[in-house]
Amino acid sequence: MPALTAGRLRRGLTEPLLPVAALSLLAVAAAALSATVLCWASVGALAGFALSGSV
Amino acid sequence: MLFSPGWRAPIRQGEVLAVFTLGLLLGGILSATVIWLLSGLAEPLPSSARALAIVAVAALGAAREFGLLSIPLPQNARQIPQEVLQTRLRRGSLQFGFELGTGVRTYVSASTPYVLALGLLLSHQGPFATAAAGSAFGAGRALSAALTWWSRDPDRDARIAVRMPWIKRLTALAVFLALALWAI
Repeated sequence: MPALTAGRLRRGLTEPLLPVAALSLLAVAAAALSATVLCWASVGALAGFALSGSV
Repeated sequence: MLFSPGWRAPIRQGEVLAVFTLGLLLGGILSATVIWLLSGLAEPLPSSARALAIVAVAALGAAREFGLLSIPLPQNARQIPQEVLQTRLRRGSLQFGFELGTGVRTYVSASTPYVLALGLLLSHQGPFATAAAGSAFGAGRALSAALTWWSRDPDRDARIAVRMPWIKRLTALAVFLALALWAI
């Protein structure tokens, strides 16, 4: 069914390594700015995303 | 597993994802609350020693993911039964999400969640920061499921399986860098 086939753009935007890059930048930037809550929240999101294979 | 095509008909998948995400967030907050209560025990230790221990744990986690160390993880070697999702889909998705969100009811195959838990335990953050980290843990797990849903890609699972080793390595490295910077 062509309608269910992922387009190249959709496939690119949902690339699993993209959130890793974005969250990593956020975590490091928050740590550098001493934004403690944002830093721990980013670390939490990275930890959750590291378990991507489970669902 | 969550978007198995066999039972997608009566309830929309977006609804399943929303309920599942709610369960993940609640589970993450519950575990964070327990960690926050226990973290008071670490408070008598000097803050410099606690910061050093957090960075050391993060370094061990990264080294493990890069294959430099072999450390067995004390995970709960149990799968959440599929029957949870087969009886009542909404309630089952909520329960499934909640159990995954706690991080203690099933396999946890990456080092980073352990670094997060030990880091929060040792650093004794305030309740808001700890709850934010716990709910972000749930949101991080939900993001993966959401991307699977949005991608509409039947080969998505295979694509994730190929990327998994690098997802684990890069998240562990980023967590180490962030916590080392934060601790300085």
